[in-house]
Amino acid sequence: MDWNNPFIHSLLVIVAITTAFLAIMLLVAATVLAERRVLAFIQGRLGPNRVGYGGVLQPFADFIKTMMKEDLVPDQSTRFVFLLAPVIAVVTAIMAIIVYPFGPTITVPFLGWTFPLVIARFDVALLYVLGVTSVGVYGIALAGWSSNNKYSLMGGLRSSAQMISYELALGLSLIGVILICGTLDIYNIVEQQSGWFGMQWNILYQPLGFILYLIAAIAETNRVPFDLPEAETELVAGFHTEYSSIKFLLFFNAEYINMITVSVLATTLFWGGWNVPFAEYLFGRGTFLFALVSVLGFFIKIMLFLFFYIWLRGTLPRFRFDQLMDFGWKFLLPAAILNIILTATFVFLTTG
Amino acid sequence: MTTILFIIFAGLAIGCAIAMVSQSNPLYSAISLIGVFIALASLYVTLAAPFIAAVQVIVYAGAIMVLVIFVIMLLNVEHSEPRRKRLKFLVPVAIGMAAILIAETAFILYSVQTSANRLPGNISDIGLTHSIGEGLFTRYLLPFEVTSVLLLMAIVGAMSLARRTTVLSATARVVPGAQVLAMDTVNPRAVGDHTAVETETTDEAAHLLGVDFQSDRSQEE
Repeated sequence: MDWNNPFIHSLLVIVAITTAFLAIMLLVAATVLAERRVLAFIQGRLGPNRVGYGGVLQPFADFIKTMMKEDLVPDQSTRFVFLLAPVIAVVTAIMAIIVYPFGPTITVPFLGWTFPLVIARFDVALLYVLGVTSVGVYGIALAGWSSNNKYSLMGGLRSSAQMISYELALGLSLIGVILICGTLDIYNIVEQQSGWFGMQWNILYQPLGFILYLIAAIAETNRVPFDLPEAETELVAGFHTEYSSIKFLLFFNAEYINMITVSVLATTLFWGGWNVPFAEYLFGRGTFLFALVSVLGFFIKIMLFLFFYIWLRGTLPRFRFDQLMDFGWKFLLPAAILNIILTATFVFLTTG
Repeated sequence: MTTILFIIFAGLAIGCAIAMVSQSNPLYSAISLIGVFIALASLYVTLAAPFIAAVQVIVYAGAIMVLVIFVIMLLNVEHSEPRRKRLKFLVPVAIGMAAILIAETAFILYSVQTSANRLPGNISDIGLTHSIGEGLFTRYLLPFEVTSVLLLMAIVGAMSLARRTTVLSATARVVPGAQVLAMDTVNPRAVGDHTAVETETTDEAAHLLGVDFQSDRSQEE
């Protein structure tokens, strides 16, 4: 087939986006269920196990239930901004999907079509992800402001302060990887980690950078132990106190897609992306089986990170706000700068 | 295709810019400004400058405007009262400057159209990260470093301004933003008197407490 034909090309892109979107949505549903089941396991309960086998249909039942609820808009709220906020949150979260490197170049058997398993490759993919997530702050901040509710406002303020502070550490912790790879193209970064039988992962060069990234990423997605914007013991539900029905669902989705995005970044930048050890020698590079195993490895790595998130939620208590700020500015930021200096020295010495 | 995209994003930018100026609510103005920044970033992408576009979104839309919105949310600005037309003379000045700007743009377009030596058609790698980095650290190293020093000065200046003691002295019992104060807060001698004293603004509370801004400042100096 002629891939350069604009109509075929745009059709292919639409199909790719739809497939990736559905895959990520299914992963969101799986994460929601896994969160409830794993938390229940940690706390010595059973969790939801009635709807479908082992509760697999529970997220869909919850989805229908939430959609059926009344869509409330507070009387004194700023109506337009109140409706805009969840849309911003979910759109910026979904926009990051187009640079996920799902797998290597695949050749479909019998048909002979060959294409890389990524929706878009471009020069500044990593900056693009950081950019759209930084715009996502407005969803939360505006939701808190427009609800005309003390708890919501406090949640919104906390979240904007927190996300500005941790965005710095997040961006700086990634610079080490960029220095080593010499590119901002995520797909290229994954390809560069395929050496040593598929085990030349950046984590070997960037242990400090990875730990800093992991901490900053948890804060960036407002998860436990950094979930101050929606701390239920202090702020009822924080910025989404006044949201119900589909608008709450949008916020909920945005949070989980953001979790997946930071897991994808951690996987691709530090843990080799779709590189599975020895897969190239077992199946041969470029075969259909190789691509399949690579995609599977990619999703397994993401799920391990998602499990780690849930594990943390079941284990750690919440930070106090001043501790949060001190930690971000006085520990994470200097440590990230130290990591940059060390990496720059390393790169300078090795490349001469 | 590029023309359609240009019309969409340029229209969005102009519409958001007009909305930003004409809105009375400062938060709506700020949201419109974010719209302008994002539309501009999209225009940069169509001009084959993805790095500038990404930096535009991260720095302006993602960091600076968050701070602006943060301040607007914290101050809770009241927008009901119509502003006095204090700076009326600025209107003709603005019209004059706009006319100059449009004339300049027209002149540039005219001279580019008539110019003999046109730019080569294939310059698409000039906006990529690699060439920008190379330019910044080789050819334009001095301006780059000078700009960094300028930014550093701004940071140090902001720190030194912020570290200076606030206008109210430490002994003044004003809670910023508090609307209702108890009597024993206002008057230290009225111990146990919790009668509510309502004030509309911090200034009014300061006045009620007998805190004189001017004398307070002179005491510290």
